[in-house]
Amino acid sequence: MKSFKNDVVFKLPKIEDVEFNEINKHYLNVIFINFFITFIPFITALILLNTYVFSDSIKIYSTLIFITFFIFWGFILFYYIASFPLRKYGLRERDISYKSGLFFKKMTTVPFTRIQHVEIDEGPISRLFNLASISVYTAGDSSDDLVIKGLQKHKALQIKEYLSKKVNE
Amino acid sequence: MNKSFDFSQYSRQSVKGILILYIQQIYAILKVSWVLIFFIVKDFSKVSKIGEFYIYAGGFLLLTFFLVRAILLYRNFKFKIVDGHFILQKGILKKTDTSIPFERIQNINFKQNLIHQIINIHELTIETAGSSNTEISIKAIELDKAKALKEVILESGKIVSNTINTNEDKPLLKVSVLELLKVSLTENHLKNLFLFLALLVGFFQQIQQIAEGFGKVETLDGFIEQSSSALATSFALLFLALIFLIIIGFISSFVRVFLVHFNLSAYLKNNAFEINQGLFTKKSILLKKQKIQTITISTNPLKRLIGISYVTFKQAVSGKINTKKEKVIRIVGCKNNQIETIKNSLFTVSEFKDLEKQYPDSYYKNRIYIYSFLLMAIVYVTIIFFLKEYKILFSLALVLPILLISIRKKVQKRFYKLSKNYLCVGKGIIETHNTILELFKVQNIKLTQTFFQKRKDVANLVLQTASGKITLPCLTVKEALFLYNYVLFKVETSQKEWM
Repeated sequence: MKSFKNDVVFKLPKIEDVEFNEINKHYLNVIFINFFITFIPFITALILLNTYVFSDSIKIYSTLIFITFFIFWGFILFYYIASFPLRKYGLRERDISYKSGLFFKKMTTVPFTRIQHVEIDEGPISRLFNLASISVYTAGDSSDDLVIKGLQKHKALQIKEYLSKKVNE
Repeated sequence: MNKSFDFSQYSRQSVKGILILYIQQIYAILKVSWVLIFFIVKDFSKVSKIGEFYIYAGGFLLLTFFLVRAILLYRNFKFKIVDGHFILQKGILKKTDTSIPFERIQNINFKQNLIHQIINIHELTIETAGSSNTEISIKAIELDKAKALKEVILESGKIVSNTINTNEDKPLLKVSVLELLKVSLTENHLKNLFLFLALLVGFFQQIQQIAEGFGKVETLDGFIEQSSSALATSFALLFLALIFLIIIGFISSFVRVFLVHFNLSAYLKNNAFEINQGLFTKKSILLKKQKIQTITISTNPLKRLIGISYVTFKQAVSGKINTKKEKVIRIVGCKNNQIETIKNSLFTVSEFKDLEKQYPDSYYKNRIYIYSFLLMAIVYVTIIFFLKEYKILFSLALVLPILLISIRKKVQKRFYKLSKNYLCVGKGIIETHNTILELFKVQNIKLTQTFFQKRKDVANLVLQTASGKITLPCLTVKEALFLYNYVLFKVETSQKEWM
């Protein structure tokens, strides 16, 4: 840490100082709906199993199984809600950043000069709330690129415009 | 320069290409159906006379079909050069016309497999930076013509122009058979053994699948059962198996090294490396310096003893579809001064001098200890719980020291060095890998932090390059943020092309 401090004669722009914007509040609804779409098949399966398949020796533990099940899913839901305000994006003159996560914090920055292309996606549920997500691709491993979900559609288009302009500069 | 070839008119590949195409089709069909053929041949005596006739007739028809197809493929494959574009026409039923501007051509490689070598012909591949059509290959072309074609493309394009005659230059390194022997002796035999076993498992699965279809799974199962119960009872057998595996490991190292790196020679050009190697399949690769994203210098204790290491070049992976393409190029058997030459040609080496190694926070060490002991505890508890085999605890006398030493080595070798323009990252347990990355080649940068890391105020830094990611685990947040900001600054102020 000390050995390279001398190299820097001027102040670096700091990512810590960037003002991050929250994503649209309505996206929480999308998260809820998506959550229940995944949750319902599981709970249905469990109820069916409990009624028809489970033998009596297992049924003794029925309450326990259901409690564990609900705690597990409740925890996931809690995590979604609690981490929601932490989904934030930031735009600077030369790069775009996104951070998220409560227990597993993550922050990604893509410099404009490395952007390969930008994509806007509207999921069927997001469309109900007039939301869109914006994906920024670089030449790196595609799974690790930057995706901002839950932006208002006009906002997403605006950002895309901005990025395209910057990339072509 | 050879002007005897006229590329403005359409020309075909060499007539010998028919043979190559023919053999390639046969090879492709053999590759998918060899097990079937094996069983047919094995039980051939049981096949009736009429059945025999159909088999021969079918085989004959198939071979004729391939021959006709090979001729048609050859007839319909034409290429020419017009206005700085390489134009290619191909296809029998579905015709495709491809036109590539020279400036988009990245690499031109020559390749020779065994058949190419026998009939004295080369395969030429053209790599482009495009999205979909990333590679064109001319299956059979005479060396003179190939060289002339390369020259024409190189002259007008932006590509390095002095790459044609390899014979005149003095090679950067040339690895003789004896040296190759040393290299294979000092390979990571364990890794090669696993590679070989993985190959074997795939092979057996294929056999088993077919055997099941033939209703012979019982015999195989019986065999496996027999041998496994024998293994469990007899320690002598286990010992023998161990020695056997070690020998297999050695042999697979030898085979691998000799197959891939035979006759390895590397040349240093103005802005490219030219690397020739291979036993059955001779490859000549032109590696542009600009395209290299990272280089890794690796060695292990044995290799260090005889003063050699190997260098791995990673190129940008263009297009997400082509993942199997070889973007990793390795030169084995480099001596220290050759490593220095390579480094000097790629980087401003003076920057690396007097840099202090920076190590991860002690959190990194603790995390590895906790994880490994947890894993070990789980394994032992499971064995004792299910098998009731308490004697297994004696193995701790062997496992524990190995584990402790490995962790110690792993922690010791984890470091990074930051200079003005470069990042040097070290890692390894038995082997030592040193990766050098030019900071401006980073594509995107990421900071991750788990709940536990947050409590200790440390975070991981992930630098994503076009050839994979580099992770710096468990740095203090202050340090990580400094690196984050510094790398971004470097990327955003750089004027150079990253590839």
